[in-house]
Amino acid sequence: MSTDKQPASANEAPVEEELYKKRQKIYPREVHGVFALLRNLAMVALLGLFYGLCWIQWDGHQAVLFDLPARKFYIFGWTFWPQDFFFLTLLLIISALSLFFFTALAGRLWCGYACPQTVWTEIFLWFERKIEGSRQQQIKLDQAPMNARKLGIKASKHAVWLTFSLWTGFTFVGYFTPIKELWDSLLAFSLGPWETFWVLFYGFATYGNAGWMREQVCIYMCPYARFQSAMFDKNTLIISYDEKRGEPRGSRRRGTRPEDKGDCIDCGLCVQVCPTGIDIREGLQYQCIGCAACIDVCDDVMEKMGYEKGLVKYTTENALNGKHVRLMRPRVILYSLLLLLLTAGLIYGIATRVPLEVNIIRDRNALFNTTNDGLVENVYTLKVINMDSEPRTFDVSVTGIEGMKLLGETEAIRVETGAVKDVLVRVHADPANLKTRSSEIEFHVEARDNPEAQTSENGRFLGPVLK
Amino acid sequence: MSNDTQTQNEHNLPIVQRIVSVLWPSFLVASLATVLFFVVFDPQELGMLAGLPELTRTGGYTIGFFFFWIMGAMGCALTCYFRKPCPPRIRTDQTD
Repeated sequence: MSTDKQPASANEAPVEEELYKKRQKIYPREVHGVFALLRNLAMVALLGLFYGLCWIQWDGHQAVLFDLPARKFYIFGWTFWPQDFFFLTLLLIISALSLFFFTALAGRLWCGYACPQTVWTEIFLWFERKIEGSRQQQIKLDQAPMNARKLGIKASKHAVWLTFSLWTGFTFVGYFTPIKELWDSLLAFSLGPWETFWVLFYGFATYGNAGWMREQVCIYMCPYARFQSAMFDKNTLIISYDEKRGEPRGSRRRGTRPEDKGDCIDCGLCVQVCPTGIDIREGLQYQCIGCAACIDVCDDVMEKMGYEKGLVKYTTENALNGKHVRLMRPRVILYSLLLLLLTAGLIYGIATRVPLEVNIIRDRNALFNTTNDGLVENVYTLKVINMDSEPRTFDVSVTGIEGMKLLGETEAIRVETGAVKDVLVRVHADPANLKTRSSEIEFHVEARDNPEAQTSENGRFLGPVLK
Repeated sequence: MSNDTQTQNEHNLPIVQRIVSVLWPSFLVASLATVLFFVVFDPQELGMLAGLPELTRTGGYTIGFFFFWIMGAMGCALTCYFRKPCPPRIRTDQTD
């Protein structure tokens, strides 16, 4: 890597009017090294997952599909309904807790390696480099007056970005509407108006955020970036410059080690590679997303100089101050316990999930009727929701009052998968057996061919009390 | 007073930033509200009740999302508006 003497903070880049303040466009320099490799692997894995997963089929349906038009969610072999929203809530809480856990342990791992904003910015930067060239070439191109060549390069960059963004928007919608049908209607130019709108909306958001906004999203818009410091303590892994070793910084000839200077040769490369344009040597800053690009590039320089690596490195505040680093702290233990508990709860909940829901609605017109035989009659509508992935046949029974009878459609009720069926039933009881005006009774609904799909629901039986 | 300078600075914010501070938080809240609301209510049934039987679910979700967004944006805009300092007192001869 050439160590060109480019003062990092010089006004080399054109200043453009941006959303939040006068923003100097950042041209992150390409970087190679251990963490760059990790970041690229994460990028390939995550983008591959995003663009690929929606095309995988499972049991005759899309493997992962949040089918909004049909109001059901497929995740491989499982089918979830809006009634299962509890699981989604639990999953979101677990995700948030994991974020807290990893932040407390290792700082902004999420921001540096896994956040969609980082990942898409990364791939957009890659396109930019392929089309406009290296950092220096990009700066030169931006400073050059507009001509046919510049127009051509810029136009092709935006064309590639826009195509990729639209594909991203299409994929995004493909997680909410079956993507094969979506693809077919796209080919036939018969995409619905709402789908078209969301493809464009999400595509535009990708293009704007990853192409234009970039680090400004992290600095000004991201809620997590604002509160993540609350999870930090002195034992949290941060990226830091070893000031004691590096200062006073200064340039020197290769292979020499001036006695009046520290190890930092002030090449400015750590600033050039930074996607948020900060100088890590000024200490921990909230703009730092923890991507470790400065570590890679500085290690490279140290190696060339014949110095020890790690002038910029992953470390903790305690380690920097020569104190003992504790891995297990109260907050780490608390986060891991909560995580374990909630994850166990989620697994248990899904394993014992009953793919059947019954709601009982009393007849609103009459509290009770009396039959010709002198029995008390209550009328109910049972809403039977089959949340199984197959159609089921259900039987209904009732208990709670001695000698009570269930009439109406009570046997062999077939409910399609995901469907709700209204079952009208009448319950007869001898008033002599009623102890109170309102007795609790229990309806049992059971599937014939799936013993797991059974549930009991309480209802109220109203009637006169004969003393 | 530092508070005054802060308020002063806030009112020197570029117009784009003021627009974003209204649209962005309301966007986040609208996304959450849309999920929570439509878990409970089926847009197709709501469409039936509202006399729009031809409304598709995707359409319902979209309208719901933008409804929440507009509502949230109104809340944010009002907050921004009321945070403006009141006009100074007309009578200035009063002492604290």
